[in-house]
Amino acid sequence: MLNVDKVEKTYETVRAVDGLSFEARPGEIFGLIGPNGAGKSTTIRMIMNVIAPDSGTIRFDGKAFSEDMKARIGYLPEERGLYKKVKVEDMLLYLAALKGVDRVTARASASRWLERFDLAEWKGRKVEELSKGMAQKVQFIGSVVHDPDLVLFDEPFSGLDPVSQDLLLDAVLDLKRRGKTVLFSTHVMEHAEKLCDRLLLVRKGRELIAGPLAEVKARYGRNAVQVEFDGDASFVEALPCVESVRAFPRWLEVALRGDSRPDELFAALAGRLGVRRFQVMEPSLHSIFVRLVGGDSPEAAEADASGSVPGQGEARRA
Amino acid sequence: MPKLFAIIRHEFKLAAANKAFVILTILGPFLILAITVLPGLLSANPKLSSGGAPIALAGEDPEASAVLGGLADTLGRSIVEVGSDEAALAAAKAGVSSGTYGALVLLKEDWAESGATLYTKTGTDAVLYGAVEKTLDQVARERRIAKSGIDPALARELSRGAELAVIKVGADASEEESDDAGFMTTLFTAMSFVMLIYMTTLLYGQLIGRSVVQEKTSKTVEVMLSSVSARELMFGKILGLGLAGLLQYGVWAAIAMLLSSFVAPALGLAAPPAVSAANLGWLVLFFVLAFFLYASGYAAIGAAAEDEHHLGQLAWPLLVFLIVPLVMISAFVMNPNSALSVALSIFPMTSPIVMLIRILVSPPPVWELALCLGLLVATIYLMASAAAKIFRVGILMTGKRHSFKEMLRWIGAR
Repeated sequence: MLNVDKVEKTYETVRAVDGLSFEARPGEIFGLIGPNGAGKSTTIRMIMNVIAPDSGTIRFDGKAFSEDMKARIGYLPEERGLYKKVKVEDMLLYLAALKGVDRVTARASASRWLERFDLAEWKGRKVEELSKGMAQKVQFIGSVVHDPDLVLFDEPFSGLDPVSQDLLLDAVLDLKRRGKTVLFSTHVMEHAEKLCDRLLLVRKGRELIAGPLAEVKARYGRNAVQVEFDGDASFVEALPCVESVRAFPRWLEVALRGDSRPDELFAALAGRLGVRRFQVMEPSLHSIFVRLVGGDSPEAAEADASGSVPGQGEARRA
Repeated sequence: MPKLFAIIRHEFKLAAANKAFVILTILGPFLILAITVLPGLLSANPKLSSGGAPIALAGEDPEASAVLGGLADTLGRSIVEVGSDEAALAAAKAGVSSGTYGALVLLKEDWAESGATLYTKTGTDAVLYGAVEKTLDQVARERRIAKSGIDPALARELSRGAELAVIKVGADASEEESDDAGFMTTLFTAMSFVMLIYMTTLLYGQLIGRSVVQEKTSKTVEVMLSSVSARELMFGKILGLGLAGLLQYGVWAAIAMLLSSFVAPALGLAAPPAVSAANLGWLVLFFVLAFFLYASGYAAIGAAAEDEHHLGQLAWPLLVFLIVPLVMISAFVMNPNSALSVALSIFPMTSPIVMLIRILVSPPPVWELALCLGLLVATIYLMASAAAKIFRVGILMTGKRHSFKEMLRWIGAR
């Protein structure tokens, strides 16, 4: 569906994207994840032909980007913007018209989406009257109102309350169910974890890890245990089987060292703490992200070592 | 193409479907009337401007009232004779000052030789001053002739001026009488046209420039460009907003025409000097071309500008091209075929105005006209295309400076 091959982009002295390659396959949700300034937005902008890559190729079904492809693609840019003086429905109809959708179809589609996001009664209001979150949802609708085959969402969840985030999650999963290809970027790992079929973790414009979500978790995840307890747990960190501890007053999140087993920890705790709950956790993408991006992993060190450009961190200027 | 229509439609609606536009469209003609017709109405009709207060006449001349008899008709005011003694004069002067009298004319016994005096409150009432002077002139001359014993008929014959007929020779050897009024009409028409284009540019040029800048500042640009090309967006904006502008001018022109053909005669005003149908056609053609030329120019400037403030700074080179013909207008009318006139009537940035003046004064050769129109249309197209390219590059520049090389690459890119 979408093929990005060895794409590079340098802003002055900043290498924003440094030889990224990936592929979004038909009908899957592909996550482009990474910390702020990793080059996610720059990559998406290059895919959308807003800016040109210095080198590398981007292909859609084997073909280079062209004007007539725009009708099949939906795009939610990181920098949102709608015409303030235009009514919500008119805005959506206009965006649909620009994608070549006829008015009747567009109106039906817009109504459906507005209904879905609880915005039906706002369709006659001007965009400037909407709250930021509502405008955000309208913008999202604008990117899918023409029923595209491929959608690119740049940080689709930012600025939304939890209820709206869930609505959006459902909407994205629905797109996948209907066979659409979704590429989205985020730095919030929960969202990536809930949505992605496959992902690419980017750091400083380079690939850190890539692959199917389950595979990434299996490979880079570590055993973690959550313990809810009464008593003083300060000794836990010093245990030989423990790598690190996130300590809260009444519970702990314990990462186990290497191939230590959870029952080793359980044995060590027994009798010293009043354990109320002991749960072996599946490694979260969040913890993988923090560990890899935090820079203390071999993968991160490798990425840093191989020819970095000074000041890479500021890849993207807002 | 359907995308372009969608953009034109959207931009037209955005510009035309709001209260400010509707109000301006309706009130516009009355504003225009207030600044164009009213001054003419007032100066052409002294009754309206002077308020019609009677003129006081203090004369030691026994025939004083007869002398000013004609004046009453010319000015349409009554003449009130007041006494010529000190007290009466003082009272009459007070009357002038308070506005009871429009003026006081004092004719001494030998006024024809020593001169008369006119007292007014302002000293700037040129119509009154002119009328009184003309009347007194006439009477004084006649009296002197009578005194000298020369036959009045002979005197008139001797002082008659020579006549000069001015004939305009057309391309097809046709001859057409012309006069001072011809020059004034042409100058007036050209002047109105230049002012019209100037005002339009300020109004709609800025509007289009702003609309383009806002596309960037309101961040709608990425969404727009994910659906249409920069070229479609620019052309759509120029055409959509342009149509809104032309609609407004169309409404104004229609109202103005109605006013001049029905209301003006009813008020007893002469209709403005008629412009021939052919010239009117040229006027509309050049107006539309000038309109889109400057609309494209402003779009290009808007594409290059970072914000609205910057837009204002960048706009001055465009304005220069408007101001040059404006200040040189009488030179073009007097010498429509000078090298300068011909050059500026072909150079696209000034040609709509200068060529129209030339057409009004004396029809230029067909090839010059064809060249002018061809260049103008090509320039509009190129300017709008350049606006699209600059817009495309301008987006790359938001937030960071791009190398000149990169910009060139983009201008070269499709």
